Amino acid sequence: MIVCVAVVGHQNNPLYIQSFTEADDALKLHHIVHCSLDVVDERVNNPKKSGPTLNETFLGLLYPTENYKVYGYLTNTKVKFILVTTDLDVRDADVRNFFRRFHAAYVDAVSNPFHVPGKKITSRTFAERVSTIVKSFGLSTAG
Amino acid sequence: MEEYPEELRTPPVTLISVVGCPDLHSTLSKHLHSEQPPINTLALPDFSKISLFSAKPDSPSPPPPPPPPSGILKRDWLLKHRTRIPSVVAALFSHDHLSGDPAQWLQVCSHIDQLKAILRPRNIKLLLVVVVDSDNVDDLSEDRMLALRKRAELDSKYVVLFNQNDSSALHRLGSAFAELANLYYRDEGRRIKLRLEKKTFNSSSIELNIRYCFKVAVYAEFRRDWAEALRFYDDAYHTLRQMIGTSKRLPAIQRLVEIKTVAEQLHFKISTLLLHGGKVAEAVTWFRQHNASYRRLIGAPEAIFLHWEWLSRQFLVFAELLDKSSAAIKNVSSLVLATADKALTEWESRPAYYYQLAAHYLKEKRSSFELALSMSETANEIDNSAESVVPSTYVGQFARLLEQGDAFALQSLTDEEYIRFAIAEGKRFQDSFEIIALLKKSYESYSDLKVQRMVSFCGFQMAREHYAVGEFDNAKPLFEGIANLYRQEGWVTLLWEVLGYLQECARKHGVMKDFLEYSLEMAALPVSTGTDTQSFRFKDCGPAGPASLAQREVIHKEVLGLVSGESGLASVKNSTNLKITGDNPLHLEIDPVSPLRLVLLASVAFHEQMIKPNASTLITLSLLSQLPLTVEIEQLEVQFNQSDCNFTIMNAQRPPLAATAEDKEGRRVETSPSLTLSTNKWLRLTYDIKSDQSGKLECTSVIAKMGPHFTICCRAESPASMDDLPLWKFEDLVETSPMKDPALAFTGQKATQVEEPDPQVDLNLGASGPAFVGESFIVPVNVISMGHAVYSGELKINLVDVRGGGLFSPRETEPSSMDSHHVELLGISGPEGEDETQLGTDEIKKIQKSFGLVSVPFLKCGELWSCKLEIKWHRPKPVMLYVSLGYTPHSNESTAHKVNVHKSLQIEGKTAVVISHQIKLPFRRDPLLLSSIKSVPDSDQPASLPLSEKSILIVSAKNSAEVPLHLLSMSLELDNEGVGGSCSMPHEHETLLDPALLVPGEEFKKVFTVISEANSSKLKLGTVCVRWGRHSVNEEQSSSTVASVLTTQTLPDVNVELPPLVVSLDCPPYAIIGDPFTFLVKIRNQTQLLQEVKFSLADAQSFVLSGSHNDTVFVLPKSEHILNYKLVPLASGIQQLPRFTLTSERYSAGFQPSVAASTIFVFPSKPHFKVADVEDKRMESLVAE
Repeated sequence: MIVCVAVVGHQNNPLYIQSFTEADDALKLHHIVHCSLDVVDERVNNPKKSGPTLNETFLGLLYPTENYKVYGYLTNTKVKFILVTTDLDVRDADVRNFFRRFHAAYVDAVSNPFHVPGKKITSRTFAERVSTIVKSFGLSTAG
Repeated sequence: MEEYPEELRTPPVTLISVVGCPDLHSTLSKHLHSEQPPINTLALPDFSKISLFSAKPDSPSPPPPPPPPSGILKRDWLLKHRTRIPSVVAALFSHDHLSGDPAQWLQVCSHIDQLKAILRPRNIKLLLVVVVDSDNVDDLSEDRMLALRKRAELDSKYVVLFNQNDSSALHRLGSAFAELANLYYRDEGRRIKLRLEKKTFNSSSIELNIRYCFKVAVYAEFRRDWAEALRFYDDAYHTLRQMIGTSKRLPAIQRLVEIKTVAEQLHFKISTLLLHGGKVAEAVTWFRQHNASYRRLIGAPEAIFLHWEWLSRQFLVFAELLDKSSAAIKNVSSLVLATADKALTEWESRPAYYYQLAAHYLKEKRSSFELALSMSETANEIDNSAESVVPSTYVGQFARLLEQGDAFALQSLTDEEYIRFAIAEGKRFQDSFEIIALLKKSYESYSDLKVQRMVSFCGFQMAREHYAVGEFDNAKPLFEGIANLYRQEGWVTLLWEVLGYLQECARKHGVMKDFLEYSLEMAALPVSTGTDTQSFRFKDCGPAGPASLAQREVIHKEVLGLVSGESGLASVKNSTNLKITGDNPLHLEIDPVSPLRLVLLASVAFHEQMIKPNASTLITLSLLSQLPLTVEIEQLEVQFNQSDCNFTIMNAQRPPLAATAEDKEGRRVETSPSLTLSTNKWLRLTYDIKSDQSGKLECTSVIAKMGPHFTICCRAESPASMDDLPLWKFEDLVETSPMKDPALAFTGQKATQVEEPDPQVDLNLGASGPAFVGESFIVPVNVISMGHAVYSGELKINLVDVRGGGLFSPRETEPSSMDSHHVELLGISGPEGEDETQLGTDEIKKIQKSFGLVSVPFLKCGELWSCKLEIKWHRPKPVMLYVSLGYTPHSNESTAHKVNVHKSLQIEGKTAVVISHQIKLPFRRDPLLLSSIKSVPDSDQPASLPLSEKSILIVSAKNSAEVPLHLLSMSLELDNEGVGGSCSMPHEHETLLDPALLVPGEEFKKVFTVISEANSSKLKLGTVCVRWGRHSVNEEQSSSTVASVLTTQTLPDVNVELPPLVVSLDCPPYAIIGDPFTFLVKIRNQTQLLQEVKFSLADAQSFVLSGSHNDTVFVLPKSEHILNYKLVPLASGIQQLPRFTLTSERYSAGFQPSVAASTIFVFPSKPHFKVADVEDKRMESLVAE
């Protein structure tokens, strides 16, 4: 289950962060998302020489915490997407698929002429779309 | 890791024993210990101690079917094999014992028998060492040795002769030991392996299976067979995993504890082996599996804390292992850690990650332990029974020690008893310090990796622990560092939490200022209950509560209460109630980098960028606050760098305080109808302002008074260069501008320039016309006061090259230029031509080549002061003269109030007199100059002069200026150096009695005669000196008063040589038609040689001629040949004489007298001359056209 998704801007500032848990651990998730930015920085600054991740937006598993797995995605405009999930067995394809759809939603949200680039995303439509994508995570390939 | 027993932590070391010959033991043990791999030695002084190694007494009889084991691993088994059971026993016999008398031999034999009896059941290997000296090596009889060997039933290679004095003997002995030890461990391993394979033991006993696997692995480790050790540890581990849920031997809690303890040991061994083998990725994967398989085995609810403690220890131990082998890990980032299905991240190979998780689980342990403690306390049956609980013989088991007289008995525990024991044990530890230590390790490790966010997170957890145990001094700097990062990156909710802790720290410390700062910042944070943030109800949110708009308002109200002095701050430290009072006022500073800019932002803009002094302009003051509630300011004080301009704005809605009114007496006070700041809404105030001081007028700060004793000083910012509000810039808000006028919002500055007052003093430069090179050009300067009195006036003079650059060019390195400056400021003379020395010494006067500074005396209104600048040109060059006058119009004003007047004038520098010269040879006398024959025409060779001939030098000076000049004198000055006497010239020094007036373009000529007396290729002719002056129109200024200028020019060198032949034409000065006259051509040979000369005379139209036309003659040395012609002129006027041409055979050079030399004037009839006395002047001067 996805517990948190986040969009992080150029100055590593949160543009959108939403958690999907019943438990009140949103603050912990904020910490996890914030810490994962270190890994994103490291991945971006020292790309593996022969890795397949070169020039790819999907950054893969960033780091496992005690109960969560954190995945990252970097758009061409250097906006970071972070996904925190509690699933122990996550298929890469699912995550990639999720990020692809999430990216599309993000692009639609920032294409709004009333959105100022670099500011938080407050669009309700975007929030709804994200929660739909989150709910369907892991189902698309199964079904 | 330190809590593990030593034998587990270090790899096993082979143990052997030596007995007999005790004097050799230390040598042997030292050598064996230094072997690679090392061998530990158990030294027994004599054979009686050998019984230590004897096996259990029941060993001889075959044991009855063993009872099911009551544990997995025996606690002391490993230690036993490390320290007590040797693999090899070496019996040392001295040579004497063997070769001596039969009694000794018998004793040897009995020792051997005893050894055999004891060692056989344990399979310990025996080595016999016969100690010999170098002198009795050969004494030992062969059959004695054989007997010995047979007695011991040993292979011959295990009976060793040891020569004490032979160094290689030690090595041989060492290798024998190593070989035998290896053999022993292999045999033992094999024996147990066989048991495993054949399942000879009770196959249902998993415990034995695990134990045997462990033993095989340990034996393999003794042999350094890491691969096998790893395999069997792995087997043991996996078998152990199967035990969970199947074993029923112990009560549930203790069973799990035992399994976990054994698993921990096995895991430790496996990880160590993997990491020592450099297999980091495998180790990490292994740890992950270990973690995955045990993490969920929480066990009984009352013993959860044991699980968390255990799990925390797993992470800690693995972190320490990783840390230890970090050298191998250095290059781990380059390792491709991704395995087939489960990708590993680089973080998992870093110790910091494990330290952090160890701390995390320890925190879990603490919370569950507290729960367990509270439960047990309610039961309140902590009795002393826990004290007698000791670890039992098996790893991971505990038992109660019962004293029964002298004997001790171990009694197994129930789970309740065990839990009580564990809680009693747990109380001895202070988890918080442990957690802080773990986090600190992680923090430092992450800091080395420069991952600041992880560092911050660890720091945050550390600080929280410090906070929890009340160490606010430790917590505060950590929190502050973290808050900075969150501020920078705009993580508002995280910042809120950290600030909440900081606020509480300040409250507990009783630091009012910090408390207010943190509270204000929190209140101004962009936290809202909008769509982006959920209604946070964190279960572990900070002391400030959840971040929400309501909470911000609560904080703001608290701050307002404190500021107004109504409420106080309850401090824990001093247990006093702090209040902001008159004795204890509070002042906050907000600069452009302060986080409190959110609270109050002051933007100041002048409406004009330049203002005249005393002219008023408008200034707009804009204030912005992000505080959630409306703030009312009591008064605003606006401060400028010119303190006279400061003013205060009072709030009309508040009654003015009496005290402030007195304080600000004499200051400007404005009143504004309302000074209320609403959230995110600019409060704009516009006032007019004027300054009478020139220079920069800048608004420095705005001080807002919020309560009776609370002020905020806000540094003023220009709207043009104002940064966005931190944190709020990411919010989706409407951008507002501080100024109503958008142009002002983009360009407005907090500073303006106040211009200087207009000068009321006139500065005149009265020079006219061009200046001439060499003369001292006078530029009169007049300072006329038109309305201002001049105090402490200062005149600055600057000469600047018009074409840019300096007034000198380093390229022209001619020595003739007297110094580097082509134009020079010579001096400044005061009014009435007063001398420089007459000027007061106190007056400033500084003159340099191109710069001058002179002080101007005090001038009243309407007064005039003048001086003269004297400038000299060394080169023709236009120059810009800048004169600036700085003065103060009032005597008592500071220097800042200076008024400046600037004037400039371009002055051309020109050459006044152009000097040229010309050298003429004597009339009708032509020397054959060899150098001129050879020379190429038009070359720059110096002119040649014949030796000892009289030549004429004409020097002319031309007026190239635009004004008439007086020529005072012209002379030729010889350089008396070197060639003195080589050339004589009549020296003329006399000045002209009547100075010649030269109009522009006119030329003055003077004739000199030159007789060269020395044969020199370079003869200096000397320097022409021309003294001249400007011709002034008005008569009273006679030429003497006008400064005369001396212009000099060095004449080029000439070449003097002896002509071999000199041809002179001799004819009368004039002729008359029809009247014959004689024309003589004299050819003089000046050489010592006979000269063959060819000559020819061409016919001329106007003359009838007699004499030879062509001939070749020989001229004798130092003699003269004369050709005689008779001519009759046929026409009158200027007539060309027949052209005479001469060719010298010797020099193969011909020459012809010039045309001018061979003309004559023919009169039609005999003229009548009136003979007058002509003044015999050798030199005549004439003014030619």
